[in-house]
Amino acid sequence: MIGFLRGVAVFFGAMFLQWWWNTHFAYWGAAPQFLLVLTILLAARRGPVLGMLAGFGWGLYLDVARAELFGASALILTLAAYFVGVARRQIDLRALGPLAATTFLFTWGAFVTLGLLGLAFTKSFEWSGWIAVVATPFLNVFAATVFALVWDARDDR
Amino acid sequence: MQRETRIANIVLGALSALSLLFLSLPLSTPVRSFKAGAGYLFDPLAYHGEAGYQRISGLPARVAQLLRADIENESLRAELRRGEWLSTTVSALSLENERLRRALVLKAPAGRFPAWVHVMERDPIHWYRSLVVDAGSDRGVALNDPVLGPRDGRLVAVGRVVDVRPNMSTVLLLTDELSAAAAYLSSGTLEGLVQGQDGPRLRMNYLNAEASLSEGDSVYTSPTSATFPPDVLIGRVARVNPRDPFLTFQSVEVTPAADASSLQELMILRAKPLEGEGKPPVYVPPPAPAAPVPVAAPAPAPAAAPAVAPAAVAVSTTTAPRPRRRKTPAVAPSSAPAPSEAAFEAVDPEEPR
Repeated sequence: MIGFLRGVAVFFGAMFLQWWWNTHFAYWGAAPQFLLVLTILLAARRGPVLGMLAGFGWGLYLDVARAELFGASALILTLAAYFVGVARRQIDLRALGPLAATTFLFTWGAFVTLGLLGLAFTKSFEWSGWIAVVATPFLNVFAATVFALVWDARDDR
Repeated sequence: MQRETRIANIVLGALSALSLLFLSLPLSTPVRSFKAGAGYLFDPLAYHGEAGYQRISGLPARVAQLLRADIENESLRAELRRGEWLSTTVSALSLENERLRRALVLKAPAGRFPAWVHVMERDPIHWYRSLVVDAGSDRGVALNDPVLGPRDGRLVAVGRVVDVRPNMSTVLLLTDELSAAAAYLSSGTLEGLVQGQDGPRLRMNYLNAEASLSEGDSVYTSPTSATFPPDVLIGRVARVNPRDPFLTFQSVEVTPAADASSLQELMILRAKPLEGEGKPPVYVPPPAPAAPVPVAAPAPAPAAAPAVAPAAVAVSTTTAPRPRRRKTPAVAPSSAPAPSEAAFEAVDPEEPR
């Protein structure tokens, strides 16, 4: 029961963190994608199923705030969790280096996928801007590192 | 592992299909309903988050404002206390100013050097016996100097100095049982001795046994008093004591003119001035009642004037008796004419003669 409540708290807490940062600390469209990072981390450490379920929910939250392409973020985060689950069979994603590299690549992958989904469903490539595309992967790597360290510290305790 | 992969594939398939459905049919009723439901679930997060953020972000400013208000409050409280103290001080000074203004019109008996002093201390146990004033030998106060007090625009007898310290003195009040002063009644030539009784009233003894006494008479210091200048009001007769057949004199109860409990400023009549003070006012005897006055109609001479005149002359042995401009009597006249009131004339020592 405590684990479930903690999971609910993390689920909503992550959304709150994303909203808070996007609203008050995002400059020129560059902000860490906490929900993507946590989806990757959850899939890497707890398996793809849990990662996909959480990612889908978080994606819906991101989609609700968007005027169009409802379901795009949900699909992207679900796919990210799935492929992380596939990747973790090949590489050790508990280590910070592989996790950082995976996060970096998946961030760009998420941008590309979002653009393609826009192209497919709204006939226009959903372009987030150069600053976001260039800066966000690094911010996500930093956020993933911090989350992983916090997770490890909690596990050690 | 295969089971997990199978479940993952199933979940991926289901969620991907759902997502694609949302993407494909964004305007369909079920999708819009689902989106509305999701918004209903997630929107409070942003709404309450923003409200909470506003509250939290305004917290430092509000705390700073609170601190500033607290500091300002403390400052204003201190200012208010200072203001209250200032108001009290101003009120006290105003009262003192009023008293001193009234006292200013009073003139001391001639030949003495008046010094206004403040009552500094009263002993509740000896309320009618003594009090301490804030002037001593530093202001020229000497032992047995008479002490007068203002009362209704005139100076009345209060007591005499019995202890002199460098900057304070003890005044023995007339109401002390050890006090005594020669006095006379305003209704006649009767002289007696006013003595304290350690109470609010005085007793005047040694009055002629055959004399007719009446209540309300004023009692003045006699020219024969060793301490007080003559004609200073002591009080009024409050009660005539029944005649005692075994005594050769009568006595009366006298209500002192000076209320010892209400005096705040007193006048000590010093015999000698301090260095740097002016010369003493000269005491001038009145013209002899029998002497003819050529121009002005002669004023009715008081009955007791001849009796007082020798003493007055004795005081003014150093001054030639010549006509002078009359000034306000040194001691304000009482309602009943004092016998030797006319004998008192204050003359400005600086006045050219």
